[in-house]
Amino acid sequence: MILNSLLLNNFRLYKDAKIDFSPSINYLIGGNGQGKTSLLEAIYFMCTTKNFKAASDTELLRFTSDFYSVEGFFSNITDDNVKIYYSNADNKRIYSLNNKSVTRTSDIIGRFPIVLLTPQDHAITQGTPADRRKFFDSVISQAGSRYLMNLMEYAKILKNRSALLGTISFSQRTDLMEELDAWNEKLVLVGSEIIIARKNFVREFMPFFSDAFKSVTGRNDAAGISYTYLGNGISDEIADSRIQDKFHELLKIRRNEELKREVNLVGPHRDEFIFTLNSSPLRIFGSQGEHKTFQVALRFGQYFFLKDKLNRTPVILLDDVFGELEAKKASAISEHLNELGQTFVTMTDFSNVSLLDKSKDNLFINIQNGTATYA
Amino acid sequence: MDSRVFNQGEKLNIAEPLQRAIEEFSKFPGIGRKTAQRLSLFLLKTNEDSFNNFINSMVDLKKKLTFCSRCYNISEDELCEICRSPKREKTTICVVEEASDIIAIERTNEYMGMYHVLGGVLSPLSGMTHDRLKIKELLTRLKDENIEEIILALNPDTEGDATTLYLLNLLKPLGIRVTRIARGLPIGGDLEFADEATIGRALTGRIQL
Repeated sequence: MILNSLLLNNFRLYKDAKIDFSPSINYLIGGNGQGKTSLLEAIYFMCTTKNFKAASDTELLRFTSDFYSVEGFFSNITDDNVKIYYSNADNKRIYSLNNKSVTRTSDIIGRFPIVLLTPQDHAITQGTPADRRKFFDSVISQAGSRYLMNLMEYAKILKNRSALLGTISFSQRTDLMEELDAWNEKLVLVGSEIIIARKNFVREFMPFFSDAFKSVTGRNDAAGISYTYLGNGISDEIADSRIQDKFHELLKIRRNEELKREVNLVGPHRDEFIFTLNSSPLRIFGSQGEHKTFQVALRFGQYFFLKDKLNRTPVILLDDVFGELEAKKASAISEHLNELGQTFVTMTDFSNVSLLDKSKDNLFINIQNGTATYA
Repeated sequence: MDSRVFNQGEKLNIAEPLQRAIEEFSKFPGIGRKTAQRLSLFLLKTNEDSFNNFINSMVDLKKKLTFCSRCYNISEDELCEICRSPKREKTTICVVEEASDIIAIERTNEYMGMYHVLGGVLSPLSGMTHDRLKIKELLTRLKDENIEEIILALNPDTEGDATTLYLLNLLKPLGIRVTRIARGLPIGGDLEFADEATIGRALTGRIQL
């Protein structure tokens, strides 16, 4: 998939801009607050219908404007154009695909695969277990819609179940225990599907991740991902057919504790993914640099996985990633980018531009106060 | 343009009775302000006879209807027409969420058994626990009547599923055959236009031919 050009109207700093892109690497160069990241934001927005900075529409609206629009022209399996139009008066976004308005955003999601690397990725390896689950959930969801639907249903079950735990412990009504049993069954049915999907994903993802890790480091270190669920350790896997039984068992063991604390204590919402480097846990022993490499490798692993799964080449967005890497690694990555699909890289004008690959296909775009000029 | 010409405030220059009728109609589900206005003006223009017919039917709705004491369907008498009918198969009960579900099933002319309306589904989040549903009443019926099969026909959503599981645990030990309605593709629908969840469930619940 290639984004050929982008039209922006009243989006962030951009009043009225049309920018053509290279099918290879596009370096977006400019000072802070000039609108580099806004371009990545617009591209990500079109491909996923979501804003990665979780900005509200009024934040996206250029000062004193009453509408914004973002439109992109893609070469995909066919030539596609995607447009997002927002008017302040209606306070509504209209998505359209090939000039026809789209009511279900799932018609767009998955059709334009995209991989984003941002400084916020540090949370994947250094943040909480919830940050890691969020990363894996988003990748698995991109590759198939059933998983996302299960996640949404699971969230609904958790809410109902914790409300019930609260009612039982507040009222001390024993007649509600049978109701809890019913919710347990529902929790186990949907929760087990999520666990099995995650197990399968980690297995499928591993080769893509290993390759990406080797490319980024150029070394033969063993980088691992372990998925722990239902309270088991790294090495003892539970067979798919045993998961439901094990789930029920744990619910029985922890019932009193759940009632006391009025919290759902068992299930995939408490899973953890553990990253290891040469068998030692990254979270404890990893250096800053090792964490960073891991994050980059996870994202490139995502790229290769999606490319294989969806049979479309994802677009890659790198937001201010080179600034944090050592020069050697940055130039190694820069070399790799040439072999991948279309890439957008933001850089501040004082970053080391000399380490960039200056081959003919790559485009250098200067961004200044919401206008783009070609260098 | 002078904004005072277009008064958007609460004081509209509409006769008070008409305004009240509009307000009442807009409380209906699926009725917006404009439709409420159309309905009110339509009633205003309609002739005396049909107006009275309309009003009387509304009054009867509340005055003459009650809930069946056996199955909690909407009824004119102590027992609803289905419970009174000698033609119905008395050994099967179909459990539904609301009386409106009975209307949907009756339209098919496929089912000749009895019904039981729960009056909702389990939803701890909105305070719906088993004691607020007609579950005790269902168990009493199982004791008093000679029931051979219970069909669970609740909506296939999270709360409906949990309620089905709850009832299943309750009914199974009683030695009565418990079934659940099948879920899958709509008749006359195109496979390619169905959503993934429906197709997925239809595949999981496939039957041998």
